[in-house]
Amino acid sequence: MSRVLTIALNTFKETIRDRILGVIVLFALAMIVGSVWLGAISLGQAGRMMQDFGLVAVTLFGLVVAVFVGASLVRKEIDKRTVFVLFSKPLGRSEFIVGKFLGLCATLFVVTMGMGVFLFVAVWYVAKSPQPDLLLACLLIYVQLVVVVAVTVLFSTVTSPTLASVLGVCVFIAGQLSSNVLSLTRLGHSPFVKAASWVVFVVVPNLSAVDIKAAVVGEQVSRPATLGLWVGYLAAYCVVVLLLASFVFRRKEF
Amino acid sequence: MRRRVALAALLVVCVAAVLAYQSSRPAASGADARVFVPSPRFYLDLSPSFRTSVADAYWLQTIQYYGEHLRSDNRFDSLWPMLDLVTTLSPRFEQAYFTGAFALIDAGRPDRAYGLLKRGMAANPAEWRFPAYLGFFAYTFGSEELKEKWAAHWYAKAAALPGRPAYVPRLAAALLTKSGARDKAIAMWASVYAEGDKYSREKAVKALGALLATDAQERAKELASVRTMMSPQAYFQLLQDLGMGSS
Repeated sequence: MSRVLTIALNTFKETIRDRILGVIVLFALAMIVGSVWLGAISLGQAGRMMQDFGLVAVTLFGLVVAVFVGASLVRKEIDKRTVFVLFSKPLGRSEFIVGKFLGLCATLFVVTMGMGVFLFVAVWYVAKSPQPDLLLACLLIYVQLVVVVAVTVLFSTVTSPTLASVLGVCVFIAGQLSSNVLSLTRLGHSPFVKAASWVVFVVVPNLSAVDIKAAVVGEQVSRPATLGLWVGYLAAYCVVVLLLASFVFRRKEF
Repeated sequence: MRRRVALAALLVVCVAAVLAYQSSRPAASGADARVFVPSPRFYLDLSPSFRTSVADAYWLQTIQYYGEHLRSDNRFDSLWPMLDLVTTLSPRFEQAYFTGAFALIDAGRPDRAYGLLKRGMAANPAEWRFPAYLGFFAYTFGSEELKEKWAAHWYAKAAALPGRPAYVPRLAAALLTKSGARDKAIAMWASVYAEGDKYSREKAVKALGALLATDAQERAKELASVRTMMSPQAYFQLLQDLGMGSS
C-alpha cells in the first residue's frame, strides 16, 4: 500500500508542477469571470447564469485535465524509460497503475474543487446568498471525471495517448447519454438492436445519474439516497476498469 | 538587423490593416426576424445533463433577439419558438415566463402570453406571481364581458398562495365584487379583514358594508358563513366595526 501511495504522491507532485495544469486552471477561472459578464446581460439572472455556465466550465476544464493528463501518464514513464528503473525495484505493475490513477485523482480533486470554491464565492458575491449545492455539484462532477480518468488510463495501456484521449472524451459523452441508450433498448423493434443497446447501456458508465447541475438552478430535486448509491456504482465501475488496466499492463512488453 | 526591421514593419502594417478594416466595417445589417430554433426535444435527448445551460444560452439569445427587433422592425416571428425552447428545457426558470409574456404582448400575441403563464403556473404551482400575472393579463387583454370574472378567478388563486403581498387578496375581493360573484367576494373580504393590517381592515369593512344585505337578520346570516375563516376575537371585532354589536 505504501508503494502505491508513493507512486500516487509522486504523480500528484509531477502533475501539479506541469505548466499545462496551471494554464487550464487560469483559463477555467477566466471562463467563470466571463460568466459574470454574461450575468450582466441576462435581465437580473446573473446568479443563475453564473451557476449554470460556471458548472459547465468546471466540467469541461476538468475533462480536459482528466483526459489529456490521464492519457499520457503511463506513456510518459515508458518514453522517459523511468518505468525500467521503477520495475527494477519491488513494485508491481498493478501498484504502478493504481498509484498513477490515485495521483491524478488527487490532482483532479485540487483542480475541480479549486474551481468549485472560486465559483461558490463568486456566486455568493453576485447572488448575495451562499449556494452550498454548487459545491456538491462540483464534487459530483469530480466523481464523473474520476471515472473518465480510470477509463482513459485503461485506454492508454493499449493505445497511443492521442487515441486514448479521444476515447476518454467519447466515454464521457456516451456517459451523459446513458438514458437515451436505455430508451433504445425499450423502443427498438429489432431484437439485435435491443440486445446491442442493452450491452452498450451496461458497459458505458452512467455518468448522468450523478449530475445535479439542473438541480442547482432549481430544476429537479436531487435525491441524496439514490445519489449515494450511484456514486457507489461508479466507484465499483472504476475498480473494474482499473483491474482490467492492470491486467493489460501486466502483459505488456516494453 | 535589416531583416528584423523589415519583419517589425510588416507586423505593424498587418496589425494596422486588420484594425483599420475591422473598425471601418459597416454596422451589421438588420437581423432576420426568422431564426432557426431547434425543437426542445432535440436538446432534451441530446444533452439532458446540460439542458439548463442550453436554456440559459437561448435565454440570452432571446433577450438579444427581442431587443434588436423592438428597436428596428417590431417583427418577432421566432420569439415564441425561443421562449418555448427555454421554458421546456428549464420549466422552473420563472423569469423567462414573466419577461417572455410581456415580450409576447409586444409581438401582438396576448393569447400566447396567457398560455405561457399558464404553463409556468403548472410548472411552478407554489409561485403566487403566476396567477397574479394571469389576473393582470386577463383584465388587460380579456374580452369586456369576461375580463373581471377571469381576473377575479386568478387573483383569488394568487391570494391563496404563500408569499403574496397584502394587496393581492384586496384586489381579488374587489374584482369578485365587480364581477358579481357576491358570496365569493364576501368570503374574500372576510379573509382580507382577518389577515390584513389596519388599512386592509378599513377597506374590508367598507366593502362588506356595501355588499351585505341591509336587513339585520340576513346580514347576520351571511356573516355567519365567514365565521370559521377567522378567530372569534377577529369575528366579534368585525361585527363591531360593521355596527352589529355582538349579534
